Amino acid sequence: MQASFAAAKPASKATAFRAEIAAYAILGAVALLALLGPTLSGLDPMTQSVGGSHAGPGAAHWLGQDHLGRDIFTRLAVGARLTMTVALASTATAILFGAVLGLLAVVAGRWAEWPVFGAFDLVRAMPSILLAMTLLVALGPGVPSVTLAIGIAFAPTFAYVARAAWMRETSAGYVAAANVMGSPPLTTLVRHIAPNILGAIVTQAAIVIPRAITTESVLSFFGIGVSPGTPTWGRMIADAVKYVERAPLAALVPVLALSMVTLAFALLGDRLRLRWDPLRKGIAS
Amino acid sequence: MTQDFGRRTFFGGAAALAAAGLLDHVPGAAPRAAQAQTARTGTLKIALLGLDTSDPHRHTGSISVQQVYAEALTSIADDGKAIPYLAESWTISPDGKVYTFKIRQGVKFHNGREMTAADVKANAERVRDLRRGWLAAPMQLVSGFAAPDARTFVMEMKEPYGPLLNVLSELWIVAPESPGWAATVQTPICTGPFKFGTWVPNERLVAPAHDAYWQAGLPKVAAVEFNLRDTVDYTLALRAGDLHIARAMAEHIPVLKADPNIEIQYMKDTSWIFWSFNNRKPRAPFDNVKVREAIAYAMDKPALLKVWSGEAGVATNQMAAPGNFYWDEALHKADKHAKPDRAKALAMLKAEGVDPARTPLRIVSWQNDYSQACAQTMRELGFQVEHLALDDIGAQRRLGQYDWDLAPFGSGPRADIFLRYVRLLSDGPNTVLWGSPQDAGFDDLVKKAVAAVDLDQRRAFYLQAWRHAMDKYWTVVVGHSAEAIANRRDVSGWTPGFTWGSARVDGGAGYASLVRGS
Repeated sequence: MQASFAAAKPASKATAFRAEIAAYAILGAVALLALLGPTLSGLDPMTQSVGGSHAGPGAAHWLGQDHLGRDIFTRLAVGARLTMTVALASTATAILFGAVLGLLAVVAGRWAEWPVFGAFDLVRAMPSILLAMTLLVALGPGVPSVTLAIGIAFAPTFAYVARAAWMRETSAGYVAAANVMGSPPLTTLVRHIAPNILGAIVTQAAIVIPRAITTESVLSFFGIGVSPGTPTWGRMIADAVKYVERAPLAALVPVLALSMVTLAFALLGDRLRLRWDPLRKGIAS
Repeated sequence: MTQDFGRRTFFGGAAALAAAGLLDHVPGAAPRAAQAQTARTGTLKIALLGLDTSDPHRHTGSISVQQVYAEALTSIADDGKAIPYLAESWTISPDGKVYTFKIRQGVKFHNGREMTAADVKANAERVRDLRRGWLAAPMQLVSGFAAPDARTFVMEMKEPYGPLLNVLSELWIVAPESPGWAATVQTPICTGPFKFGTWVPNERLVAPAHDAYWQAGLPKVAAVEFNLRDTVDYTLALRAGDLHIARAMAEHIPVLKADPNIEIQYMKDTSWIFWSFNNRKPRAPFDNVKVREAIAYAMDKPALLKVWSGEAGVATNQMAAPGNFYWDEALHKADKHAKPDRAKALAMLKAEGVDPARTPLRIVSWQNDYSQACAQTMRELGFQVEHLALDDIGAQRRLGQYDWDLAPFGSGPRADIFLRYVRLLSDGPNTVLWGSPQDAGFDDLVKKAVAAVDLDQRRAFYLQAWRHAMDKYWTVVVGHSAEAIANRRDVSGWTPGFTWGSARVDGGAGYASLVRGS
């Protein structure tokens, strides 16, 4: 038993490494698609041609045309930009609202921590999709609104991760030393603690990004995310699903893209957690 | 084998229907007392439109459900004319003001009581006093109701009202003893082939057969069950046999047509499809009629119709569809916007000093492909488009705020052309889809049209009113489309009617039967 366990360990390391490489490869390919795709096709993702409705792949339209005759490849490429922009911006918003606000509240003391984390508890009590939907009804549709709604929905996750990291770090010797030297709490936070909890935040970001991508897609699929016609992957799936029997490619292409990117971020998140999580540090590397 | 059986049964059923059903119910035919029923089998499962209220007198929009339990004095035939229903016949005085209806004998409410002229009078008075719905306008013109005997109902108008017989097809006759009569009827007791049954709002209505129904041999199934969920795609349910009859959206028709167990039939009246401007509070520069005209020049009617209805659309510039009595061929041929002319649209915008790149344009619409095609047309003109695509209630609410510029919509079949013109009247019901214009000149022309006793004169006034609306570019018509209804071939005797109604005097759910216990 011992021998087989020992033999399995290097294989697991190799698999993890290959998974990381695959994740970087997928994300690199998506980045290239987002940057160069529209230029390569030379087409406008919004241009409709009803005569070309549901046309299959060809020289002019590499992945065919959707029900309104729009070029699927170009929409996929522009969709990659929008989908990734929304995912990254909403994660940054979540960090801003969650980690930064949470840490400031913790540093300020219980009088600030109680109401701020009470609010986070309220937000956390609602499913993220439902909360984002509610916020979108108030904010109205559009990319900024979707970004803000998803950011707020995921903010509590970062707040709790940041608070846990803060509590762990404040018991460390270097923080005690800083306090003895008379460093103000905010200075201690910014100069000493923040760099040490950054790993936990980045790891959490890698986990939240794919969730943000799927949340945006679900919101768009329900028709309450970005405005109709905007080629996010969720919108593309929602538009194409009505015709999936006759023209499956228009739905399959964004579904595959979404699955691959979500998988890549999930693999990357796992890898980063293994690498930076103090409790698991060293297991993967 | 199954298919052959279905076809034989279908045609056999249709022939039997013609021999034993339809011929008995042509206008003026003597009613027959309900006779011993043949065994009713099966539950007919239907999904068309929703049911917003249990009170038949309180609806204002398209309805397809309540016709199975509620009936009216008149019914709309396939050619759009009013034919006898609960009224066996009628006479109209020479001045067009007095309508005398002979009420059908032997019609029983769901509680077993026989309907009389006094019941009809009570319903007419209730609708008049409610002051809402389609009948609000004609009821204002009523000078009196009378029920001199059990079979005579008299309606006297202050002035002639042309659409009366057609709009009376929606004066639903409800027993005054129905619970909630004084406020909102909760369980309508009516005379239709099915009883109100169990209603779960936004989910289902189960309506069992009315055993004492006045049309002999009807209904042919034990119950109907309506799916009231706001579902867009019924194709899988139809193909699996979970539904027998359902609305077929244009994008689903090719898939449904490919299934040998399903047939597609079309409603006899059409939906009209249009772009409306905000006429109540237009924002600059869309308050300029030349700017509206410029936008109309960008409209690609054939492409928009293809998106809306597949191959079932016909382009025109009028409320009435080609072939309809109220449609005008000369006006149709003179349509300046029959073909898109983007260059002219841009030139006109420039001449009016409009730079689209600096002009925001807010579109409010339903969530459909047609509105995306409209939005793209505006983007291609260069406007800064903000497109708000909402569900039906959300869209109507937002339209009512009048902070938008363009609204691409469509509206379904109606029992009379007046029910389309009424949408542009200053005090019309649910006018937001048409931008709620307020124009005394238009109102006056429509008033003259409905008061005209002579049909040709009525048509002329309506057309004059429509030309007036066209000149102002309140609403630009894209065209018309026949609404498709799909039914499984194991449903025999079902045909769609002139409007969405699921039952009528000469067809619909009461005539439908299910073969092979489906």
